[in-house]
Amino acid sequence: MKKILIAEDSPTMRSLLVSTIETLGAYEITEAGSGFEALRLLPRQKVDLIITDVNMPDINGLELISYVRNNNNYQNIPLFIISTESSEKDMEKGLALGANEYLVKPFNPLKLQELIRRYIG
Amino acid sequence: MSGVNDNMGKAVKDFLAEAEEIIDQLSLDLVGLGDCADTGDCSPELINSIFRGAHSLKGLAGMFGFAEIADLAHNLENLLDSLRLGKVTLNQVVLDVLFESMDLLGTLVRSAGADGNASEAESVSQAVARINSCVTAASSVAAPSPWAKLGLTDKVLNALTEYEEHRLLENVKKGRSIYSVCASFSLATFDQDLAELTELLKSCGEVISTLPSAGGSGRVELSIDFEILFGSDKDTAAITAMVDRENIVVIQVGGGVPSAGDQEAPVSTAEGETAPEHAGDAALTAKSFSRTVRVDIGKLDELMNIVGELVLSHSTIADIANRMRREGFSTIATDLGKSAKVLERKLTELQKGVMDIRMIPVGQLYEKMSRIVRRLSRELGKKVELKLFGADTELDKLIIEDISDPMMHIIRNAIDHGIESPAERIQAGKDEKGAIRIASYQKGNHVVIEVEDDGRGIDLEKVKRKALENGLVKSLDSLSDREALDIIFLPGFSTSETISSVSGRGVGMDVVKNNIAAVSGMVDIESRAGQGSRVIITLPITLAIIKALIIASAGRTYAIPITSVLETILVEPGDILTVERKEVIQLREITLPLLRLGEFFELAGAAEAQASCYVVVVGVAEKRLGIVVDELIGQQDLVIKSMGETFKGLRGISGAADLGDQRTILVLDAGGVINEAIRSA
Repeated sequence: MKKILIAEDSPTMRSLLVSTIETLGAYEITEAGSGFEALRLLPRQKVDLIITDVNMPDINGLELISYVRNNNNYQNIPLFIISTESSEKDMEKGLALGANEYLVKPFNPLKLQELIRRYIG
Repeated sequence: MSGVNDNMGKAVKDFLAEAEEIIDQLSLDLVGLGDCADTGDCSPELINSIFRGAHSLKGLAGMFGFAEIADLAHNLENLLDSLRLGKVTLNQVVLDVLFESMDLLGTLVRSAGADGNASEAESVSQAVARINSCVTAASSVAAPSPWAKLGLTDKVLNALTEYEEHRLLENVKKGRSIYSVCASFSLATFDQDLAELTELLKSCGEVISTLPSAGGSGRVELSIDFEILFGSDKDTAAITAMVDRENIVVIQVGGGVPSAGDQEAPVSTAEGETAPEHAGDAALTAKSFSRTVRVDIGKLDELMNIVGELVLSHSTIADIANRMRREGFSTIATDLGKSAKVLERKLTELQKGVMDIRMIPVGQLYEKMSRIVRRLSRELGKKVELKLFGADTELDKLIIEDISDPMMHIIRNAIDHGIESPAERIQAGKDEKGAIRIASYQKGNHVVIEVEDDGRGIDLEKVKRKALENGLVKSLDSLSDREALDIIFLPGFSTSETISSVSGRGVGMDVVKNNIAAVSGMVDIESRAGQGSRVIITLPITLAIIKALIIASAGRTYAIPITSVLETILVEPGDILTVERKEVIQLREITLPLLRLGEFFELAGAAEAQASCYVVVVGVAEKRLGIVVDELIGQQDLVIKSMGETFKGLRGISGAADLGDQRTILVLDAGGVINEAIRSA
């Protein structure tokens, strides 16, 4: 089963993401409540897709993207950013850093599902 | 369909609960903002945290279709974004708008919770208008890029958010120096290590960003590096000295020069860019309410050494007093003797005082452990309740640090191998939630830490089988259950059929044992099939200074830490029996194995004693051993000194100590001697 790592500090937003993905039924989800947790979870298992928020309290999404893209073990993992449009500049930076897609909160669940299917089948 | 509705209902409830939490925090933060707005010295972090709150709220409200909340939060977020980016100046008008909007948000969330349909559309549109008047009044400042001249790598610059770029700029404007602080941490503990470092840095500057990168060791599962961008008035030497750790490197990447064109910046608190050093210091003293100091433990060690030497000088003085008395200077001798007594008392107090400083409650360790339990149980899909007892039991700080890794291993093992999955537990008639109990208590001069789980216990048959397969034992015939359990502590032992991501294969108990032995501790394990296991760690309270029994054996003098001495007995040659070519004596109901130090250390001229001799009975945890000695010299306080890297691995010796009469003797490591003696038996 393909694995998706979600980094998002809001528990409600996280569970929304989880339930959106769970509807698809074909993915195993690991939840990280902060950037730090994501850093720690990454080496634990093979991750096939990362979905990250931009504004998190410890390290932000851009820093997480930079870490992932500069690391031989993870650099090819598809990565989506999710944030509100006020962070649009940051999301553009995220794309420049190597994020594959960005979604604006409130995100459209169907769009997210479609993107996940497109990237990891 | 009702299932979906129920789910939705629960999700909305979750949202409302989180929204309320966010608003509570925002209200608190706003009060803080109001307080500091008067002084014009608001921490950027505070404003950023308020921004993040509004940002989360807006995203959530949008997802759940609460249009009014989303609309208001959205506009609030814009205003806060401008504030944190310095495009809007914080003043009373802005503050009032923030407070009003927050109140309104609270009302909206509460009425959403009460299922009220009362629309606040009018109040919302008014609030939004006021918010926007604050934002549009501000001229947008096109940010120049003064940091382009800084010696920053693209990697760091590219990962800066707009807000972080702004903070970097502000720091440069204030004439602060910009540093790149590079640190490397173990992946297991980085969050705490990093939090400590960040806290330290914040005390004299601003942490602008924290960029992680793969550990320098190239093994991402072991370590992780961070590059922290940091602005401060201090110089490189001062910061390096403050951080004072070899795994942390501080490099100045720029700053110290005010940039041109900063007059345009509306939020500029730079009153005098020429003397930021003093301004910074004043702010520091004014802010310091804490009545604690951080002290390098090395300094305490030094202090303890000095106390130890004073204790020795005291013995010399007492000795002189005795000699004077014998030689007829009785009056002066009595006076000197009295003063020496007072000195002794004060020295004892001093010694205790220095020791107390090193002591910290094991509760600090518990915090770490509860985080690990939470994380692992989630990762492994097991339900685990952690019960903690004796959090205020005190231990030497160094010991606490050194046992934190072994404790972590033990807990990992307990969750990974011990506690069963919820389904398996229900089938076994247990509560689906497993329990891990950590209890600490003082027992004489030792602190005992027990880690107990109510999982499946250790499968002894499997242990024996594996031990045979791996050649750790030659036959199972004479192997008792106790001995089988001890196999777990042998290097290279593992029962895991598969490699788990959590405890790995054979992340051995031998490592745990060695780490605990390094602080003169012992580890023992008890297990009952189907009911769980208990790991018992016995530790000395402190390593700094010990009471020791001084003995002579095979013509040499040794010290045995009194904490391991149970009793001393006089033994007649006839009492010593030989069982399987090993000497033993019958001590009450147990058969006590004997050890002659001369043979143990393979010393030349170790003669068989024919006359009666003393036996020092030492015990650590449940294990006992009799050490045959020629002479009991007496008891003394000793400061144990390490023997350095070369002799680090020496079995049975934990260090050396000065006796005060220019003689240096070896201190026996009772646990090590016992293990070695029992293994060779």
